[in-house]
Amino acid sequence: MAGGNEVNLNESKRVVPLNTWVLISNFKLAYNLLRRPDGTFNRDLAEYLDRKVPPNTIPVDGVFSFDHVDRATGLLNRVFQAAPQNEVQWGIVELEKPLSTTEVVPVIIFFHGGSFTHSSANSAIYDTFCRRLVNICKAVVVSVNYRRSPEYRYPCAYDDGWAALKWVKSRTWLQSGKDSKVYVYLAGDSSGGNIAHHVAVRAAEAEVEILGNILLHPMFGGEKRTESETRLDGKYFVTIQDRNWYWRAFLPEGEDRDHPACNPFGPRGKSLEGLKFPKSLICVAGLDLIQDWQLAYVEGLRKAGQDVKLLFLKEATIGFYFLPNNDHFYCLMEEIKNFVNPSC
Amino acid sequence: MVLYDSATSGGSNSGSSSSCSGTKQPVAEIDGLLAGAGYKVRSSELRQVAQRLERLETVMVNSPADISQLASDTVHYNPSDLASWVDSLLSEFNQPPLPLPSDLPDLPDIIAGPSVNHTAVGNYLTDNFTTTQQQQQQQQQMMIVTAMEEDSGIRLVHMLMTCAESVQRGEMAVAGSLIEDMKGLLTRVNPSCGIGKVAGCFIDALSFRIMGVGGSICGSVSENEILYHHFYEACPYLKFAHFTANQAILEAFDGHDCVHVVDFNLMHGLQWPALIQALALRPGGPPLLRLTGIGPPSPDGRDSLREIGLRLAELARSVNIRFTFRGVAASRLEDVKPWMLQVSPKEALAVNSILQLHKLLGSDPARNSPMEMVLGWIRNLNPKIMTVVEQESNHNQPEFLDRFTTALYYYSTMFDSLEACPLQPEKALAEIYLQREICNVVCCEGSARVERHEPLAKWRNRLAGAGFRPLHLGSNAFRQASMLLTLFSAEGYSVEETEGCLTLGWHSRPLIAASAWHAVPDVMMSHQNSN
Repeated sequence: MAGGNEVNLNESKRVVPLNTWVLISNFKLAYNLLRRPDGTFNRDLAEYLDRKVPPNTIPVDGVFSFDHVDRATGLLNRVFQAAPQNEVQWGIVELEKPLSTTEVVPVIIFFHGGSFTHSSANSAIYDTFCRRLVNICKAVVVSVNYRRSPEYRYPCAYDDGWAALKWVKSRTWLQSGKDSKVYVYLAGDSSGGNIAHHVAVRAAEAEVEILGNILLHPMFGGEKRTESETRLDGKYFVTIQDRNWYWRAFLPEGEDRDHPACNPFGPRGKSLEGLKFPKSLICVAGLDLIQDWQLAYVEGLRKAGQDVKLLFLKEATIGFYFLPNNDHFYCLMEEIKNFVNPSC
Repeated sequence: MVLYDSATSGGSNSGSSSSCSGTKQPVAEIDGLLAGAGYKVRSSELRQVAQRLERLETVMVNSPADISQLASDTVHYNPSDLASWVDSLLSEFNQPPLPLPSDLPDLPDIIAGPSVNHTAVGNYLTDNFTTTQQQQQQQQQMMIVTAMEEDSGIRLVHMLMTCAESVQRGEMAVAGSLIEDMKGLLTRVNPSCGIGKVAGCFIDALSFRIMGVGGSICGSVSENEILYHHFYEACPYLKFAHFTANQAILEAFDGHDCVHVVDFNLMHGLQWPALIQALALRPGGPPLLRLTGIGPPSPDGRDSLREIGLRLAELARSVNIRFTFRGVAASRLEDVKPWMLQVSPKEALAVNSILQLHKLLGSDPARNSPMEMVLGWIRNLNPKIMTVVEQESNHNQPEFLDRFTTALYYYSTMFDSLEACPLQPEKALAEIYLQREICNVVCCEGSARVERHEPLAKWRNRLAGAGFRPLHLGSNAFRQASMLLTLFSAEGYSVEETEGCLTLGWHSRPLIAASAWHAVPDVMMSHQNSN
């Protein structure tokens, strides 16, 4: 690893709260143990180490959750909802009536991060995050347990995202509002953000309505080395080397990082000009080494005439939103809330 | 200004509190935000844990070996306890693995963990697996709702709850007419869909309860053995229980020449051939093995316990293990007295309880608690290990409706997992096995209700209070369990590690939990009780 390690470690410790530093460093080191140089992955140890939580139909902090498994594919979605006002209804999952016949209740389809390789919908960090989203946005959140690399490469995660979208759109009990339809937003962090983008493109091409995309430091990349990658390599939990590993694990074998999955507006990408693409809220962390790719993505959306808002959090590192112990977290949540508010 | 933060979060362990300022923080306080992420770290230790993480990173960077190889050879324990996990890795990286003696049979590398109690004796099961052996807030109710696309399925569930509520209120006429309606609705539900079959069981159970005939559902001893055996074959829950317990027992017996296993429910002795074979192959040679099998007396004069003991003895002889068997016939676990087990102080003792302890929970308040009594004498025998496997659900709640609802979701998930089983008649008989359990949970009361399942969180408290400390099950046991599951064609089973215990479940819902324990020495007991 280039540079003095002590310098690197001290820098990241200065910019995040201590418990966040412990959490993300723990992930970083554990993940280092799981990735093998030959491109394979120690999935058993990964599942053993991952902290998972079961769903709960009795609400906790105003949110309950339950899992749905598609019999044909085994794809699991975890649904998070606000607890019913009437305690008598607690413990019973209402699958016959719509969410509301008068108000619009947004449904956020969430794709968890993990560089296409790590974590699950029932990982504790993501379960917790989705619960917070429910309360903040007064929305229903559906977290998709998409298939991960290297066992399942491109396009499996995107296909699972598309399947989840179709499932959500066809649930009568996710409908709301006076015109009884399902109001869908797509959201994701890191690789989840990448998935959200590609699912949104497919949806736009198929004329399936998505009201908005929320991408939290989405995972994009490309063959060339950008300035931010060089400047920030190894400084804030992430290295170029690990990014390379994850792309090699996700992209079809033999492909490089200019594949459009990784670099949607790059030399092999296509413009979204003229496409009815949803409005986007893109959050970029100023200490994320791939920010130049994320900013290029924002630029690509703008050039195609799409509605995009950039939330650039200069002092934020990756994973700042896992624990609600910093300003960036609250700033982000406020932005998401406003973005999803149907009256906007 | 909206308050976003909640220090505790749904689904994760309760008992943590906020790390926000303004509240007094005693030394033992766990960081609430990390708890929400599944990690238990004391707030006061955060700085030290951070330092150890830094050191670990430096060590890893400077480590000449392939660290991912080292990681997979190491046995990891209890990842929730971040501090100890980081420390165990630090020890691993500072010591290279022991070289393997050249005359050893094909066993994976043996690594002596410097700071943990056990040595990893390799994945014995997968090496010895022969072709003959196929095959989350204490009030929180953890439930899974599997796909219920059909409207009639959903309606059935609602009607079942309403019926159960009427039963709880004593409105039997209402309950009875609901049962008739449900039976009609059942004909319109696809019976091969999970909810159809399980709904049928619950409808029958409710109707038996109303008619007051719950007690007659109990089968004969030999019937129960047959059903158990088919449940064992049809799905992986019991296999998981057996070899997870066996792995832990094998590790606990390491270095002992005289070992004694007490099995609280021998059945056909399905668990023991694998342990016998593993002990035969262990480096350093096999111990003298005693097995005491407890089981109900056979009504027809046969001594079925002895027959099974003879078969196991033959197997032991064939692999050159000195083996003795003793059968203890008792219809209830609380009737077993420790002197019947003839435990010698010189031997290493393992007590093995697969789905038995919960039966002790149906106590008559006038008598002493059978649970306390039994746990007391187990502890006094000072076992090297006690392996406990229990259903991961609360079917012992005082309110009937709560019990009913929890059981409905639990057994729906169970039945759903059984759908994947291609073997007949194993699958059909496994369903009857579960049906009997459901009947007991729903129809019976008092001492007749023996299926008083409680979740891991409650067992942890109970066993800790009775003077036991956990022996953590590690990543090697986890890996074996995962490998076993891939041998099954059905995808959807999942193993999870939770604070040193392993659970096996269907998709994301744990259904059975395995844990291991040993007795706290007396000197420490008195300190513990003063906490």
